[in-house]
Amino acid sequence: MKSPLLENEKFVQVAAPMFVGFLFLLLWEAIVRANDIPPYILPGPLEIGKAFVEDWGVLFHGLLMTLKVTLLAFGISVLLGTAASLLFVQSRWIEVSLFPYAVLMQVTPIVAIAPLIIIWVDDTTWALTVCAVIIAIFPIISNTTLGLRSVDPNLLNMFRMYRAGRLQQLVRLRIPSALPYFFGGMRISTGLALIGAVVAEFVAGTGGTQAGLAYLILQAGYNLDIPRMFAALGLITLTGISLFALMVWLSDLVLRNWHESALKVEQ
Amino acid sequence: MTNAKATRPEVVVPMTTEEETRPAGGTPAVGRPVVSVRDVDKVYGNGTVALKDVDLTVKEGEFISLLGPSGCGKSTLLRLMAGLGEVSAGKVNWWEQDYSVVGEKGRKLAFVFQNATLMPWARVRKNVRLPLDLNRDKGDEAEQRIDQALEMVGLSKFGDAYPRELSGGMQMRVSIARAMVTGPNLLLMDEPFGALDEMTRNKLNDDLLRLWKDNGWTVVFVTHSVYEAVYLSNRVVVMAARPGRVIDEVPIEAPYPRGQEFRVSTEFAGYCRRVSEALEVASQQGEEAAS
Repeated sequence: MKSPLLENEKFVQVAAPMFVGFLFLLLWEAIVRANDIPPYILPGPLEIGKAFVEDWGVLFHGLLMTLKVTLLAFGISVLLGTAASLLFVQSRWIEVSLFPYAVLMQVTPIVAIAPLIIIWVDDTTWALTVCAVIIAIFPIISNTTLGLRSVDPNLLNMFRMYRAGRLQQLVRLRIPSALPYFFGGMRISTGLALIGAVVAEFVAGTGGTQAGLAYLILQAGYNLDIPRMFAALGLITLTGISLFALMVWLSDLVLRNWHESALKVEQ
Repeated sequence: MTNAKATRPEVVVPMTTEEETRPAGGTPAVGRPVVSVRDVDKVYGNGTVALKDVDLTVKEGEFISLLGPSGCGKSTLLRLMAGLGEVSAGKVNWWEQDYSVVGEKGRKLAFVFQNATLMPWARVRKNVRLPLDLNRDKGDEAEQRIDQALEMVGLSKFGDAYPRELSGGMQMRVSIARAMVTGPNLLLMDEPFGALDEMTRNKLNDDLLRLWKDNGWTVVFVTHSVYEAVYLSNRVVVMAARPGRVIDEVPIEAPYPRGQEFRVSTEFAGYCRRVSEALEVASQQGEEAAS
């Protein structure tokens, strides 16, 4: 008889990568110990774990700051990005005139404009948020616009034949058609919002009560407190993964009944 | 709108057109024109001549099939009849007036596309009610009509299903129910059963004939199957390509209701041969034009 746990798809999905991760940490610790690598070059996982526990107060505060900027930027990106897409599909003219500027915003390296934004915007949180929005908004705009245009042409003909107004077309046809694309954009955008928040913070170098995880990494680097650096890095990664998982869950929740991406196909 | 009302008494005026009135086998009320296409050309922006000098009158109660090789413009013609797209020359009339009368009581039009064209995010019932929603029809009467439409296509139990949970044939039936829900007078169908297997197709053909009879529809049906065209229609219009045009019309005078016996009869075989020959000529003419 096979173990029922191993037959459980969900359990395997979680357990298998965790097992690999565990092996990796084990190997890491073994290499550090066998070669006597000092912690200021490469600390072992145990050392990092210790830093996690001991510095938890500082780390958690940093996490809250970074998370605040990330979520603010993501929220604003979703709102503004969706609004821009809705505007773009209203007329070809608007899209043709404005879309290149959305691209311009996307291709300008955030590191290069962050100093300017930090000079212009007084409040640190908002300065960082603006930087993060600039890079997080593009996938929302481009995906949602694509989605709003990806309407079954025959369905559109049918709407026209029954004399549906623009609003009816938008609400009953374009928006539902765009949802899968929109959620795809959200998945990319959460990651970019986090990256934007961290990069902006590196550039701003905000200390004191405003210090986020990026500043902790900078500071720990100066002090050669490498375990704390790793702990902060770990938290950033963990935040990114959690946000991504949240988006996947949300998109599955909304699309599970009809869209191919969220269907479980039994062969 | 008032104009439409004023012209309605025309119904009682007996039909005296220049056209030869064909005795349509077994169909009693073949009456006034529902759609008439007069000298219509359709040239697309890229210069393709999709239709050239097409003349066709569809009369009340008729079941007409448009048959032809691919590229003969049969779908284009059907779309023009649905008011989708503009003619390049000539005129299309609905109930002897322009497109603005379409949608009035007794002058409703429905279109069934090649694939079911359902909204995948909406349940079957919601899909069927779409035309009513767009028209802001609510209340018990609307619900009753949805129930009725679902019952007629035999999908009463599937109202809460999502389209993807249904087979291709069932999806097509949902599409037909959606077309029926407004109580159309003219039903335009663009190769609706082309993607289905033969068993399902035959079944849906029978269903369609029954619904046509029960509801007093006028049907224009695009197909590339000779058998389907002969089985269903009282008139088969054969078209040729390059440029798309009508080259022949074959009246099918076999009485309705038609069933399995008709499918295997020598009469059926005779009509199929006659239509196939016309189609052969159409294909040759198309090829000559291409070379």
